[in-house]
Amino acid sequence: MASDGKKAPYTLQIGPIHPSLKEPVMFTFEMDGEQVRSVDFAPGQTHRGIEWMGMRRNPVQIVHLTDRICGICGIVHTLAFSLAVEQIAEIQVPERADYIRVILHEFERIQSHLLWAGVAAHELGFDSLLHLTWRVREQAMDVIENLTGNRVNYGIVQVGGVRRDIVPEQYKIIEDCLSTYEGLLTKLLNLFLDDTTIAMRCRDTGVLTRKEAIELCTVGPTSRASGVNMDLRQDYPYAAYGDLDVRAVLPEPHMGETHGDVYDRIVVRLFEVGQSCQIIRQCLSEMPSGPYTAEEKPAKILAICKKATGEAIGRVEAPRGECLHYVRMDGKESPTSWKVKASSYSNLMSWIPMLKDEQIADIPIIVASIDPCLSCTDRVAIVRNGEKSILTKEDLTRLSVEKTRRLQR
Amino acid sequence: MTATLLTPEQVRERFLTKFGSGIRDSRISERREGKKKNPHYTIWFDLDRELLRPAIETLIGIRFPHLSVIGANDLGDSIRLVYIFSVQYGEVKSEYMVTIAITLPKSDLTVPTISDLIPGAVFGEREKQEFLGIKVLGIPDNRRLFLPEDFPDGVYPWRKDDTGIPPAMVKDLWASKRPVDRPVPVVEIKEECEMGAGPDKESGQTKKEGS
Amino acid sequence: MVPVGDDNNPRAGGGLRMKLNSAFNRSLWVYHFNSGSCNGCEIEIVATITPRYDPERFGIKLVGSPRHADVMLVTGPVVHKMKDRLLRVYSQMPDPKLVMCIGACGISGGVFYDSYNLDGPVDEVIPVDVYVPGCPPRPEAIVHGVVTALAKLERLQGVKA
Repeated sequence: MASDGKKAPYTLQIGPIHPSLKEPVMFTFEMDGEQVRSVDFAPGQTHRGIEWMGMRRNPVQIVHLTDRICGICGIVHTLAFSLAVEQIAEIQVPERADYIRVILHEFERIQSHLLWAGVAAHELGFDSLLHLTWRVREQAMDVIENLTGNRVNYGIVQVGGVRRDIVPEQYKIIEDCLSTYEGLLTKLLNLFLDDTTIAMRCRDTGVLTRKEAIELCTVGPTSRASGVNMDLRQDYPYAAYGDLDVRAVLPEPHMGETHGDVYDRIVVRLFEVGQSCQIIRQCLSEMPSGPYTAEEKPAKILAICKKATGEAIGRVEAPRGECLHYVRMDGKESPTSWKVKASSYSNLMSWIPMLKDEQIADIPIIVASIDPCLSCTDRVAIVRNGEKSILTKEDLTRLSVEKTRRLQR
Repeated sequence: MTATLLTPEQVRERFLTKFGSGIRDSRISERREGKKKNPHYTIWFDLDRELLRPAIETLIGIRFPHLSVIGANDLGDSIRLVYIFSVQYGEVKSEYMVTIAITLPKSDLTVPTISDLIPGAVFGEREKQEFLGIKVLGIPDNRRLFLPEDFPDGVYPWRKDDTGIPPAMVKDLWASKRPVDRPVPVVEIKEECEMGAGPDKESGQTKKEGS
Repeated sequence: MVPVGDDNNPRAGGGLRMKLNSAFNRSLWVYHFNSGSCNGCEIEIVATITPRYDPERFGIKLVGSPRHADVMLVTGPVVHKMKDRLLRVYSQMPDPKLVMCIGACGISGGVFYDSYNLDGPVDEVIPVDVYVPGCPPRPEAIVHGVVTALAKLERLQGVKA
């Protein structure tokens, strides 16, 4: 095993991991005993050629392709793409559609953060927390299914608006879910933040300083936990956020100081769940009436897009950070250029300073703490003196769990 | 870090005064959404290749920008790289995008690296190297990023000319093992949904067009 | 919402208990392989493990190594880099083994029908026993798929024994 005190430096290869948004990463660590000296990684295992395929289809079809870029972020890619195309084609989205988009966006954020909380607990060895948070998450999935028809891949955003309305009978279901979550939030905060073992494992582990966060262009809760005040909903409001007055959740007001470690990332994400509940409630109370899409027939949307020329950028704040789509259309049916930037694309570089000088058993939680869309390590290969031995994700997680038990003694 | 907030017009003026003729095109686009119709702005610059690094240094002087992504267009006989930055994040409703676009002729596809100014740009530059066939001078890491190692050299997926993906490389997954002598199944008419939340309809053209 | 564990409802896992008793001595170990999917099916597979659908009371659990597994769940269209690994993992599984293909991507390519980096639906790489369609399939559908797989294995065992 890896913990028998070998002092000579050796190389540890991990991967290909569970895919993050677009690219699962294959790590190679230079180890010195139990500590990581340097990290290198190579993505590319889920490259499906989506942008290339998109440049052969028209915007009405691409909307369905973007839904499936990532399964956890159901709506963000579609929303960013639609925002870009609506800017080029100069389609004005009705206000009701903006509010419906925001409601679903926030629900997606809630379920994504709860999913991540469970995964983080699993990496630390708390399987009961994993089951608890995922059971709690099921209520949000029920509401999403009621509103859109599916639990994952919502398929509700189309260029020009949304495809379905939210009728008053559904308000009660949403309200029930929100009150349950607000009641549960204190309990979740207690479970995660007041637990001594989690504090021991996560405090001062995987630290990312503010300067590094800005230079490596990190986004989302990863950068907010390091003290960078960056949230698209506050700075560059899209859809209905301009009316809602959202502020970025930073660890300092809640914890007193910013460390930039894994613990702060847990703090930021849990408080964002509470913030999302408030946003949804505000949206429901201020929902304007009117049409829910600018153009109901897809053939007409297509006709408008065919004549559009220009380039535009659509940005949204996904649960993991900023998601950006750059689209350029030249009057043909398919876009001339389309570039997708998933939020994990920017955050991957932050693994390098975070993993330096950390122990092997901390690797799963640090890698999962930037939320690369499901936890990562799949297979681990240790090369020592030319011999290879394969560890699996179970073994790596077991090392992490053993460390928790050691600390608890 | 300056405490004053600059409007998009002021930033544009600063660039125009500093670089003058090197700027081929600049414009500001605006978009308003939601009930209160808050605007957000994007500044678009089209520069010469030599001005890329000075322009970015000017931007860093205003406030350290956040490099979002590097987009690319294939315009036939030249490739246009679009560096997308966002500045003034952290100020409520005052962030805006600054886009710096440079055009490279296909006869000379080199561009200097900006990864010493902004370390997070390495990813984007590696990706452009393998997808478009441009060469980034001074890049610290020259390996492939997303494409597999056995991807043929000289094939660049995002190009629209002959170095793009040849049809021989495209595999039609729907056609594998599909029986060719079966008739197309009948599509049933769906019933109206009782909730009245929206029409139950197919989204226009769902089959692929001739490729 | 279908109550899970209702013995008369095969979709909800009822009947699973009886089948498991005979074929596998009450336990079924599942290994999950992701060949480049969007993670939607992954989430639904992990959601199937959670307390709401709770297959662990039947003895079904996720393992981390193919050498311990009886059933392999494959998701995703096979990305070129992962094709080799899929073949290797399949050969590492001991007999009797079953392969289940979860999600529309693995069955026919789904939305990614014309890409340059994909190596075809899963059954062009390894033989598949059960297909669970959906994008992504609901956890109930995955449970139903497992039940069908067991029924198939019963039949095969019957022939061999």
